[in-house]
Amino acid sequence: MVLALLVTTLGFATLIFVQEATSPPLVYGAYYAGTLFVLYLGVRLLLPHSDVLLLPIVTLLTGLGLVMIFRLTYNVEGAQKLALTQAVWILIGSGALFLLVLFLRNNYDRLFDYKYLLAIAAVFLIASTFTPLGYTVNGARLWVDLGPVNFQPSEFSRIALVVFFAGYLAEKRDVLAATSRSFLGIQLPAIKYFGPVALVWAASLGLLVFEKDLGSSLLFFAVPLLMLYAATGRIAYVLLGGVLFCVGSFVTFLIFEHVQVRVQSWLDPWQDPDGTGFQILQSIFNIADGGLLGTGLGAGFAQTIPEVETDFVFSAIASELGLLGATAVLLAFLAFTYRGTKIALLAEDDASKLLAFGLTAMFAIQTLIIVGGVTRAIPLTGITLPFVSYGGSSVVGNFLLTGLLLLVSERAGRRETEGLTYRDGRWVST
Amino acid sequence: MNAHLKRTFYLFVAGFAGLVVMLAYWQVYSREALANNPENGFQTQRSISSPRGLILAGDGETVLAKSAKRGTPRGPVYDRVYPLGTPFSNVVGYWSTRYGATGIEISNNSDLSSVVGEPETLDDLINRATGGPQPGNNVVLTIDPGLQKLAYQELSASSTGRGSVVALNPKTGDILAMATSPSFDPNEVDENYPELANAPDAPLVDRATQSLYPPGSVFKVITAAAALEAGVSPEQHFFDSGAYELPGYTVHNFEGKDFGDVTFTRALAYSINVVFAKIAVNIVGARPLTEMALNFGFGDPYDDFSVPVSGSSVNSLPPEKWTTGTLAQTAFGQGEVQTNAFEMALVAGAIANDGELMEPRLVREVRSPDGIILDKPTPSVRRQALPQSTAETLNEMMQQVIIEGGLTEAEIEGMKVAGKTGTAESGNGEPHSWWITFAPADDPKIAMCVMIENGGRADEGALPIAARLMKAYLVDGV
Repeated sequence: MVLALLVTTLGFATLIFVQEATSPPLVYGAYYAGTLFVLYLGVRLLLPHSDVLLLPIVTLLTGLGLVMIFRLTYNVEGAQKLALTQAVWILIGSGALFLLVLFLRNNYDRLFDYKYLLAIAAVFLIASTFTPLGYTVNGARLWVDLGPVNFQPSEFSRIALVVFFAGYLAEKRDVLAATSRSFLGIQLPAIKYFGPVALVWAASLGLLVFEKDLGSSLLFFAVPLLMLYAATGRIAYVLLGGVLFCVGSFVTFLIFEHVQVRVQSWLDPWQDPDGTGFQILQSIFNIADGGLLGTGLGAGFAQTIPEVETDFVFSAIASELGLLGATAVLLAFLAFTYRGTKIALLAEDDASKLLAFGLTAMFAIQTLIIVGGVTRAIPLTGITLPFVSYGGSSVVGNFLLTGLLLLVSERAGRRETEGLTYRDGRWVST
Repeated sequence: MNAHLKRTFYLFVAGFAGLVVMLAYWQVYSREALANNPENGFQTQRSISSPRGLILAGDGETVLAKSAKRGTPRGPVYDRVYPLGTPFSNVVGYWSTRYGATGIEISNNSDLSSVVGEPETLDDLINRATGGPQPGNNVVLTIDPGLQKLAYQELSASSTGRGSVVALNPKTGDILAMATSPSFDPNEVDENYPELANAPDAPLVDRATQSLYPPGSVFKVITAAAALEAGVSPEQHFFDSGAYELPGYTVHNFEGKDFGDVTFTRALAYSINVVFAKIAVNIVGARPLTEMALNFGFGDPYDDFSVPVSGSSVNSLPPEKWTTGTLAQTAFGQGEVQTNAFEMALVAGAIANDGELMEPRLVREVRSPDGIILDKPTPSVRRQALPQSTAETLNEMMQQVIIEGGLTEAEIEGMKVAGKTGTAESGNGEPHSWWITFAPADDPKIAMCVMIENGGRADEGALPIAARLMKAYLVDGV
């Protein structure tokens, strides 16, 4: 934890030295460090058995995000305050995490009792962008204007949906795994049980497709599918999902022009280097500019990439910290994924397992999608890099995700220290 | 269920590993290729944060390009400024973060850009040790600033405003002037590039080196050289009947004249097509004529010259496949012969310099910012274009072009002057107007080619311009 804060401080110090920039008010930095440290202590106090590594990783990533956002925007007209805003969002996220932990520290299972309500709320949240309050940014209608605050409902609804799927799949796990009929050689469960899953899934997916939010659609598609696979162990679901995904992608490719543009600029960005291919090419140029060791903080040209502080923040990291720095950052993400998976493995009941797994999978896939996108490994889909990218909804959402993981880990940790071990698929007393 | 979770986790690990591989691909494997990609402006971007060296004219004082410091929130940035602007832009070039670089700016970029590598002088070492700005080295050109400026003014004031001038020192190969019109202001390339690139009169093209035109009768000096080598003497008599019929092609003289019995010297002075066609067909032959042109630098793209040159050409077919009509037309610079002022100035220079074609050059020396000479190549011979005796004979004949041809305008008092006219059918509008010349013919200091696109008769378009430039350089001392 101390290490994570030190790294952030060092980053800022480097920037201020290199750029001869005026320091952001130190008091804000103290607030940031203080809040995360208090949050860490608070969580240790409330959940003494919870995972010890998650919050330090979050601190490291948000700190890195702050450094990068500050570096990329402090001299940009009209955007100098972005790092400050992001710091405020981190405070809000910390507060939300703390409240979540405070209220649900003994019985987060209550969430599963409200799973249908959560599912409906999630779908309505996404649908809210179609109300007059919603508005469009960069061709995707995924913002809602609530007076003083604008937010992206999909960032929150996807957590609610993971809770729903975890609760529902845990409940119906056995019937879903049982094969009552088969279709074209694929064994299918009864419609009765499968229905709600498919319904919620289709509803949220459909809405996102209409919002033209490709990144989120991909998340909403892949995460429930992986949860279904984890719950039932049936690879057929994944295969069926894969086929559906291919068909769906092809259809969207044919229907939506912006999808065609995305795919075109992925396959051949040189075709229109100053137009549709500009962003991805600038990203690649910046990444290449970094080389093995990077240009050093503040010495790169990442500001040439449009929207570098949100979706493309990783390109800036790769440019200024180089292959080694970028790999280290990816390792931090992998460490989070590893801890999340471990929490899922250690969790006692199916619902908790699925919840932890679903959240972890969402975190990992989101990272893979956006980093893959900016490195031209896959077509680019607009989505944030968890904790690092600028974006209030994203930051708060990911803090909530971390909070839920902590809650799940607390229970498993307590059982373990109270002398229970995992054996033959169940917890038994030793 | 745990097995499934683990499997999925391994999938994620594979995904992350894949991303690292992808990063390594960009950051290590294709790093250099991407850095040099023309769409990638980072190298120039980085280079504007330190001052580039000066580009100086041949007098070592006139500044043609310099870096001007400008404060920005990100620290100082250096803009490239060209104090003398348009007349020099085809030589000096431009340095743009958006549109790349041309001319000396790119050919001598490693000299001009801020130094990397071993320190070359003590000041350099101290500068680097103290972390001060490290300006690039200064490049001193061979260009005579006054002559260059005057040449550009003459061209833009010519009848069509389209043309080029190349003047050089025949003994050293130093280019004294290389002007083209219309041209562009290098200070405004960033703002005007799209218009400049699309303008119908192509101001970005250096007509002196990159355009190719039929030379017409100026090419006769090459045919004459080949004829002398083939044993024709200046006093040998030929008969001009005004027309020379060949299978499928009949040669006529300029403006339909016929001259009767003439010496070879007079045939050159009066630029008699019929005589030159006869000599080429009956005495010289296609291969020796082609080889003589190649000796003078035709077919040579001058890859080591500072700015790009379009190589001149005699014909697309090998000489063995020419018809006699082709040979006859080639003899007086029509047919498929293509060249430019740069090549024809070199031809004039080689004849002036006893047949030695000097290596043409634009850069005389490179100096460190504190004035220490880092590189000063000595002039070198590129090729012996023709034997000294032949060159001397041709020199005499070219002096007679002015004396016998009555081109009094080209004369310079107290000096022997040599020259040759060219009025080339352009296939499109008025003929191109050419004039090559050098003086003093017995101790040449300057050789020059002036070419005016669609400028009409040689003695009305190119010659008067060249005469003024020659006098300005040799008599008035611009």
